[in-house]
Amino acid sequence: MMLFTVIPLDDVLEGMEEAPVPTVVMSIGGVTLELEPGENFQAKVVRVISTDPSHYLNSSYQPGSIVHWT
Amino acid sequence: MSEYEERHDEELSLETIKELGQMEVPASAGEESQPFHCLTIIGQIEGHMVLPPRNKTTKYEHVIPQLVAIEQNPKIEGLLVVLNTVGGDIEAGLAIAEMLKTMNTPTVSLVLGGGHSIGAPIAVAADYSIISATATMTIHPIRLSGLVIGVPQTYEYLDKMQERVIRFIVKHSRVGTEALRDMMFRTGELVRDVGTVLVGDEAVKVGLMDEVGGVATALSRLSQLVSGEGKVQ
Repeated sequence: MMLFTVIPLDDVLEGMEEAPVPTVVMSIGGVTLELEPGENFQAKVVRVISTDPSHYLNSSYQPGSIVHWT
Repeated sequence: MSEYEERHDEELSLETIKELGQMEVPASAGEESQPFHCLTIIGQIEGHMVLPPRNKTTKYEHVIPQLVAIEQNPKIEGLLVVLNTVGGDIEAGLAIAEMLKTMNTPTVSLVLGGGHSIGAPIAVAADYSIISATATMTIHPIRLSGLVIGVPQTYEYLDKMQERVIRFIVKHSRVGTEALRDMMFRTGELVRDVGTVLVGDEAVKVGLMDEVGGVATALSRLSQLVSGEGKVQ
């Protein structure tokens, strides 16, 4: 991996040693999502795992958005 | 709409603002979707390595299927790529640039704020490239990161990576190899570093970008590309 950026590498990689937040893979509305579980059946989307490109345009599954699973 | 529904809607939009810093724009009446889509490439372009959460990133594994979806959807007539990026992973950046370049859907790029480092190939990959008057683009050599062994092979490898970026920019803009190389290794312009900062019309003058403008310019150029007039490059 090679970074080509104007930001100093030390700043980019700051906090790299911290343990990553655990994620779960779950199917919601027929779309497989990697989620960061939160409270009250809420979870933050980390990424979409799908071969259907239209799933990636769905605004409710954009990385960072909150989904509800019950 | 009942009071409950209204409140629920409000909560949802507040949530959108909180989580993404974005507001959901309500679709105008009678129009299901817009003919032009807008892809924002912001912060670091994240590639093979997940960057620490302090970084604002554009995830390339998400952008690439989006481009495929846009290319396949006949309702989407054009794509506006808005860039404000500090660079990032070379392979991910070049992947996005190659995808944009090889799309049949007309594309226009608009650099706002900054389109630095690996942002430059993405900016020139669009059919027409626009830079706002105050936006900057930094052209500089690739630096060493990760495992570095002090042998000639390391430098040869680095040179090869550099060459990929140069070749792409030269092929898809009006700038020549020598001129680009000269800008990349110029001294005295960046603090303790080599490279060149291009502001607005300077990027147009050297032939990297096509025009200085804003969102209205970008959208009218996109309309022209869609209607088939004034195909550039």
